[in-house]
Amino acid sequence: MFGPTLAGRNGVSLIPPTLEHYKLRTSWVVAPEVGRFWGPRFGELTEERQEKRFKDTAESNTEIEWSIAYEGEPVGYTGIFGIDWVRRDGESGIIIGRHDLYGRGIASEAVRLRTDFAWKELRLHRVHNWIAHANRGSRRANEKSGYKQMGLQPRTFFRSGEWYDEWLGEAFPHTFPEKA
Amino acid sequence: MALGGTIRGKKTMLRLPTEGDLDAYNRWMADTRVRRAHNIWHEPAMPATWKERFKEVAKEKQAVLWSIEADGKLIGLAFGYMWGLWSGFDLSQLVIDPDRWRKGYGFDVALALHRYLFDYLDLRRSDLELHADNAAALRIADRLGYVEYARGHEVAYRDGAYVDQVRLLMEKETWQERWLGEREYAPLGPGATR
Repeated sequence: MFGPTLAGRNGVSLIPPTLEHYKLRTSWVVAPEVGRFWGPRFGELTEERQEKRFKDTAESNTEIEWSIAYEGEPVGYTGIFGIDWVRRDGESGIIIGRHDLYGRGIASEAVRLRTDFAWKELRLHRVHNWIAHANRGSRRANEKSGYKQMGLQPRTFFRSGEWYDEWLGEAFPHTFPEKA
Repeated sequence: MALGGTIRGKKTMLRLPTEGDLDAYNRWMADTRVRRAHNIWHEPAMPATWKERFKEVAKEKQAVLWSIEADGKLIGLAFGYMWGLWSGFDLSQLVIDPDRWRKGYGFDVALALHRYLFDYLDLRRSDLELHADNAAALRIADRLGYVEYARGHEVAYRDGAYVDQVRLLMEKETWQERWLGEREYAPLGPGATR
């Protein structure tokens, strides 16, 4: 399913994705700046595949997804995937596709909106995620919304001659900051 | 890939699953002993739904399903995912018929499967997730060489309460140190490559 519009601070909002937003993702995920901590930079990156993903996500009852808008323009996407409605648990993820906008707090605000929605609207019990430990920006964005480390998977990413661990985080309603 | 082939253990054998195995899969997924111990693979369902699931898994590029036999009888299933770029394996399901627990089948089939992962597929690591109170499975994992690297809190819900979930990892180096004598094939004779 697609999430509803959530207006945030500093020009950031979460909005329901459109097919045009999905088509933008292809160019985002192949950029070296975006793929430093994520993905192999290849895949079935055709328009047809994006149309199928768009339809499948819209019809899914176990995932919720948004486009991230910054000053009215789509700049990335986020969501909660593999939701188990009995356990009330899901896995969250985020990609800021416009790497020229890194460092402006867009991810932090998007994670805050998403996490708040998970507790107040979806009534989830827990959300968890995997982030490259060295991806400090993404990790901090999640920590600000109450994610805590539950472990490190050693030597998961190999980039430019070095191994990097994967950070496993989890968040609960009671870890969400009161003043977030 | 998708449907796994023969891997022989001492007491057990992983083999190609068939549609004839699906009734037993359904029975196990409905068994509260299995549901308490494991994440289940699928909810119980009509035979037609299981046939659809079977067709789907057969088409999957990254997933592999095996049936497990002992003494010529179906006793379980194993299911997991190859990581992208074939660097590792997520062992998602290793279900033994609860009427056949405590006969050593679980360890025997787990050892055979890991021999295949490390000695045949040459994977770098294997990963699994267990309920923190599944003592039997944790013992098998420890004996094989798995090490805990993360603990999710209040993950699985059953019997009116949450239980933690432990994530464990086994590296190829550990396999080689601990199970050096376990080989998928006996060495070839000296003239084999002549």
